[in-house]
Amino acid sequence: MAVSSGGRDLLRSRIPLTVITGFLGSGKTTLLNALLARPEAANTAVIINEYGEVGVDHDLVQNITESVTLLDNGCVCCVLRGDLEQALRDMFLARRSGEMASFERVILETTGLADPAPVMQTISIDPSLAEHYRLDGVITLVDGVQGAAQLATDAIAVKQAAVADRLVITKSDLADQATLDKLMQELKAINPIARIAVALNGEIEPAFLLSVGLDRSKIEQEAVERWLGAAQTQEHGPHDHAHDIVTFTLWFDQPFKRASFERAIELLTSLRGADLLRVKGLVDVEDEAGPVVIQGVQHLFHPPVTLAAWPGADRRSRLVFITRGIQRETVANLFAAISALN
Amino acid sequence: MNAKTNLARGASPADTLIWNFKHLGQHELNGFGGLGEGINLQLAPDGRRILWVAHESAPKNFTGIDVGDPRNMKVVVQTELPHKDVRSNSLDVVGNTLCVAYQTTNVGMKPAGIELYDISVPEKPKLISHFDRSGPYSRGVHALWFVDGEYVHMSSGAADFQPRDARDDQCYMIVDVRNPSKPVEAGRWWAPGTREGDADPSPRRIEGGCEVGVNGFRAHNTNVFPERPDRAYVGYLDYGALILDISDKSAPKVISRWTNCPPNTGFTHTALPLFSRGLMLVTDETIHDNAIDWPKLVWVLDIRVESSPLCIGTLPMPPFDTFAKRGGRFGAHNLHENHPTPTAWRSDNIVIGSFFNGGVRAYDLSNPYQPQEIAYFVPGAPKMSRAGAIQFNDVFVDDRGVVFAIDRFAGGVYALEMNF
Repeated sequence: MAVSSGGRDLLRSRIPLTVITGFLGSGKTTLLNALLARPEAANTAVIINEYGEVGVDHDLVQNITESVTLLDNGCVCCVLRGDLEQALRDMFLARRSGEMASFERVILETTGLADPAPVMQTISIDPSLAEHYRLDGVITLVDGVQGAAQLATDAIAVKQAAVADRLVITKSDLADQATLDKLMQELKAINPIARIAVALNGEIEPAFLLSVGLDRSKIEQEAVERWLGAAQTQEHGPHDHAHDIVTFTLWFDQPFKRASFERAIELLTSLRGADLLRVKGLVDVEDEAGPVVIQGVQHLFHPPVTLAAWPGADRRSRLVFITRGIQRETVANLFAAISALN
Repeated sequence: MNAKTNLARGASPADTLIWNFKHLGQHELNGFGGLGEGINLQLAPDGRRILWVAHESAPKNFTGIDVGDPRNMKVVVQTELPHKDVRSNSLDVVGNTLCVAYQTTNVGMKPAGIELYDISVPEKPKLISHFDRSGPYSRGVHALWFVDGEYVHMSSGAADFQPRDARDDQCYMIVDVRNPSKPVEAGRWWAPGTREGDADPSPRRIEGGCEVGVNGFRAHNTNVFPERPDRAYVGYLDYGALILDISDKSAPKVISRWTNCPPNTGFTHTALPLFSRGLMLVTDETIHDNAIDWPKLVWVLDIRVESSPLCIGTLPMPPFDTFAKRGGRFGAHNLHENHPTPTAWRSDNIVIGSFFNGGVRAYDLSNPYQPQEIAYFVPGAPKMSRAGAIQFNDVFVDDRGVVFAIDRFAGGVYALEMNF
């Protein structure tokens, strides 16, 4: 409870948005149906993006939730991104006027063809959306049988796996153990910080999928670990040579001047934004009582939010990078150079 | 756009609309859940948290509720009024002293004035004194402000206060209660020209086709804070909002006046300064059903130069189409007033208000030029409510951050947690 803070909790007061993505046929609708049937997912509004003249999947979901918005006839990451923004705005207004139930979270199911990055950026682009929503997490589903082949041949499938906070292997009952093991290894190589789970008939614990991100400014260490995953304990991620995905965590012992940090990020995004698949972490900024939460996808970063206090004794800045071909040393050197100059 | 929505659910008064508040509990006060605009919290000598609320109308006077557990509130005492033509409406608490306002239906009736009670034992409020403000032209006291244990600031009539127009019967009055057994009037102020014998002409007029003064030129909320003990921030219905110099309580002087009437329909209710921001919020009160007196707003004023208040905006209101015909009144009324007492929550950045059927709403004033709505709670219609919709009359936030909102007709007290 924000007692006598005099200000508001910028994380707690925003509606969490979960993105469920995954290649065609990976079982997104099945998982979504199973999730919505659970009490933990009550009061969820759903946006479904379907590609094609006639939407089908939303009919399957509508049976269990009345708050469904369908974005069809295009892919949400490209031609329909404006529609997604509009849908999120409309949903909030409909909620406010009572035309829509008082939903407590939004789940967006993308088409299998969607590049998740533009979708993740959507709520950063429009200030009014950023006021009302926060990206809670990206859930990427990978077909237990077809997944390895899709990752080998399709760059979007790789990107979907690389930027995920959670990876869910589906259709495990149709795959043999050796195939699943191999897929698991490949996913860990692409994205060593995401937690991975295996779903059976779309069933997975809601807690694994929801409440992934930081949901309040007063947090425990456990929340940071849940959000940043293995990055907390891992200095170097393995390099996924097959797809040129590089994952690493940078730690900084000294607090940043705000200007130094902002300039380093600006330089990085201006030179290699397209290859900066995802950045997230906590940053110690001079004169701030708590860490500043950083979240970025390619060229765009969410408006930073300062937490009420550091969750543990370790006040070092930590930044997780998932890149396409940008090495750890390159980014570390950039930060070092700018800090030295500033 | 291609987006298709399936949002068939209608905005029924039975629906609860909620965002960033968590509903913890409700108490209908044993069937007497119609409450006025007096609400404050006592930390009793035995450690209990007692919320005191004034009733909208007879037969009940005031009720004390143990709100230590907001999920399980318990009535500890509920008192009666002597007859149906008096209402208490307003109260405040300082330590273990409760001050209650009494206003009668017609002039010349009793009891009209204020009473002080010792509430050290909440179950047994003990009358300390009755300060009579009845008279041939007086209905007594409508609203009061009592936060320092020394002075009561109130909107009141008096035996010697004869208004030129009966609608102007309550002036701003200061009562010295340093000896609670013997309250004495310390001073008063009224809009020039409203009292019989005034040299000034009556402020009643027609301007731009609008009749000014229809609702009366009367004091409503009369707030004084320790940050500026020499200032009173007063809502004076159709006369607007006033900042008064009360360094000499016997002779308050106007520093500035701001009004939106005309072109709006007046009924200025509250003037709430946010000292660290150089801001003042001014509320209207809507007094008609179905929003026929719309718009009734909360205005944001820049008072860095107190002699020259500048309106810089209004709080964004709930959608008119949704609420205007939802039932009962829709529009601004009371705010949580940052009571300078240990049991109240205080913020100069966040403001929480009651908007009748528009529910309880919270706003972030970090950017005063662009206030943002950050939370709302509009419960479904209370059982037996004659308005057919919630009618939140007042709101108070305690030092734990628990929000208490009270319904005008039937719903009693709602306890909320702030999720922002």
